Amino acid sequence: MPGPEERADDRTLVGRATRGDREAFGTLVQRHQDRVFNLAYQVVRNREDALDVAQEAFVKAFASLPSFKGEASFTTWMHRIVVNLAIDCLRRRRRGDPATYDDRLAVPEDGGQSLAAPDDPEAALGTRQVRSLLSRGIQALPPAHRAVLILREIEGLSYEEIARAVGCSLGTVMSRLFYARRKLQKVLRPNLDDLR
Amino acid sequence: MRLKHWLHTLGGEGRRLAAYAADELPPAERARLAFVVEACPACRRKVEAYQLATAGLRGLPRAGLTASEAAAFLPEVNRRIDQGRSVAARPVRPGLREVVWDHPRLSLASACTAILLLIGLTLSQVQMWGLSGTAGRNGVEIISVDVDEDASVMVFQPPGTSLKIIWVFEDSST
Repeated sequence: MPGPEERADDRTLVGRATRGDREAFGTLVQRHQDRVFNLAYQVVRNREDALDVAQEAFVKAFASLPSFKGEASFTTWMHRIVVNLAIDCLRRRRRGDPATYDDRLAVPEDGGQSLAAPDDPEAALGTRQVRSLLSRGIQALPPAHRAVLILREIEGLSYEEIARAVGCSLGTVMSRLFYARRKLQKVLRPNLDDLR
Repeated sequence: MRLKHWLHTLGGEGRRLAAYAADELPPAERARLAFVVEACPACRRKVEAYQLATAGLRGLPRAGLTASEAAAFLPEVNRRIDQGRSVAARPVRPGLREVVWDHPRLSLASACTAILLLIGLTLSQVQMWGLSGTAGRNGVEIISVDVDEDASVMVFQPPGTSLKIIWVFEDSST
């Protein structure tokens, strides 16, 4: 049976954490750590970096709690912190060691069969090929464009939520999203006949 | 049909095709695009690629923490908070590619300014050469030009000869 900490909503926990209640903050971390890690991973696509970004995001969040006005949800606020840290991580990585890309989850060990019909090896192969091509396409995207694409297509955020999370205008979100989608479309189009 | 496809692309149809594939258009616009896609095989192919990309992205497996990572997560966050240590260093400035893409008008203005500067610089160089050289376009070399109140004298030398020609311009009113 969940205790009073687990039952409290984010707003209440944020309020208590702002007043220095580390236990309340710990509950927030445990509640959101999986989602935050997944978002970080989808952007940086490397487990080690994603773990570092996710943990650092909570450290930043704790330090910035006094400035959290509660206009957006804690989740949206965390999105913003994670995305910014992930983008910085990618930019640093591109300038340093670009060969740390981790493709294990983009093409999972089951060969993508989890998404295809189990008795349809052809479909499983197609799924694996699509994922492989998409991974290459995503990797070629500039960090900020990649983040917008992930927030829209994987996290399912609205354009307004993305603009708030990334801290840019709606027009910039649309522009980045179009660029990212077009890039992936161009990667997939030549192979369309094989993938259908 | 290819021309038709290009005309659609020029009219910003590429952007609308992407939105159409993602099912983000209002119904009226969607119906119009459906007609375009039906009539244009190249557009249809693009839409299929967009849809495949979207479906592929939405189908990517979620990344989760392992049990050991999940268990060590909060203690590590607390450790970092206590140490006041920030692993993520200073923010990195955005790359040129992103700046160019995010600010197309600024990029266009910069490119135009650069082109104008280049043209200006080239023209000024040509003019400087024209002024500094004494030989004209036809090879006639101007030896000297003396301007006086009553008369002006110009001495010049045609090409391929040692002959010097003197022109005197007199003011007929004096």
